[in-house]
Amino acid sequence: MRNLLNFLAKYNNLIIFLVLEGLGFYLLSTGNGYHNTRIVKGVRGLTNGIERKISNARTYFHLRDINQKLARENITVRNNFERLVKNEELVFFSVLDTVHQQQYTYSSAEIVNNSVNRQKNFFTLNKGKMQGLSVDMAVTTNDGVAGVIVGCSRNYSVAMSVLNSDFRLSARIKSNGYFGSLTWDGKDYSHATLSEIPQHVTFGIGDTIETTGFSAVFPEGIMIGTVSDFEKSGSDFYKIIVSLKTDFKKLHFVTVIANMKRTEQRT
Amino acid sequence: MIARIIRFSLIFIVLILLQVLLFNNIQFSGYVNPYIYIIFILLLPVEIPSWMLLILSFLTGFTIDIFSGTPGMHSSATVLAGFLRPFVLRIISPRDGYESGSDPSMIIYGFRWFLIYAATIVIIHHTVLFYLEIFRFTDFFRTLLRILLSSLFSIAFILLLEFIRKDK
Repeated sequence: MRNLLNFLAKYNNLIIFLVLEGLGFYLLSTGNGYHNTRIVKGVRGLTNGIERKISNARTYFHLRDINQKLARENITVRNNFERLVKNEELVFFSVLDTVHQQQYTYSSAEIVNNSVNRQKNFFTLNKGKMQGLSVDMAVTTNDGVAGVIVGCSRNYSVAMSVLNSDFRLSARIKSNGYFGSLTWDGKDYSHATLSEIPQHVTFGIGDTIETTGFSAVFPEGIMIGTVSDFEKSGSDFYKIIVSLKTDFKKLHFVTVIANMKRTEQRT
Repeated sequence: MIARIIRFSLIFIVLILLQVLLFNNIQFSGYVNPYIYIIFILLLPVEIPSWMLLILSFLTGFTIDIFSGTPGMHSSATVLAGFLRPFVLRIISPRDGYESGSDPSMIIYGFRWFLIYAATIVIIHHTVLFYLEIFRFTDFFRTLLRILLSSLFSIAFILLLEFIRKDK
């Protein structure tokens, strides 16, 4: 007690000063709207930083729980997705055509095996005869053509990729309708060659190349790629380098197109 | 003693009236706002107890605050000025010390001493006051310029008042 009194006596000026100064600041912060706002803002800015750090640390400690929750959620979503995909798989969805008889039917499939680095590339689909696929059906992606089915087992099919030196496809320049034959030269998985376009035809780099309906495999007007370069090849024809729209390295979900009038069209 | 209290009360009232009625209305281009009421703290006797000095400082500031509608601003500045006054007096004390019972006035200790004394306290007071008024550090140098110009004017007025007192 005596120490306390001594302390108070020794520092009484400082204490009075601090009390009065505190009173002054109290009046300052409560009596003036501007100062009040500034002080509240400053204090909030100070505590905000600390609170953010605390909250960061807290989320870090909760990461385990969050991970478990996400994993559970993933499983649920994947199950739902699987159910939906499996439902869809068995159904050929059709294109409504009221004037003519329907010609093409569409079905989805997944690529389970694929290659781009050989001279004769094939990919495997996870559907076969049981799901209604058969030889000579067209395989496309959302971007453009991918290949043609060449063999079917019960539940799997093998398709010849565009990146196969045996692959031939009837293709045309969209802007003027001149058609030629699309082949792959075996060099680059993102480029193919369009030949047999006569030299009097005018077109430019970037023009769209699309399918014709002549082969009775692909429907008319499916995107193949764009002109990236062309040169005159000896005789009267151009040799056009086509930049393929489909990225064969990340091929996954594809659409299989069946032509119901194929036999009729062929004969 | 009683005479002294009455004298300082009169000085107090006159200074408050001067400040509120006259000097609060002086504003050259927003840079010059002289606050001469601080002379009351300057003129209090050298040997006044520190606690009384602090309380009187607070009262002065608080009165000005009430009249200019800025609670706390002048109080904080004057309390700090009152708190630092004994230290300033000790630092600039004349060679033979202060005469007992004297006021720190120009008549007794001379012009140069009073100028240093007044300038120190006024600048301390104005610095605190102006930064409390603006309450942020953007426009730091603009505020500094305001402080310097206002201090200059305040010191000039305080010296003027001292000369008037001296002639009397």
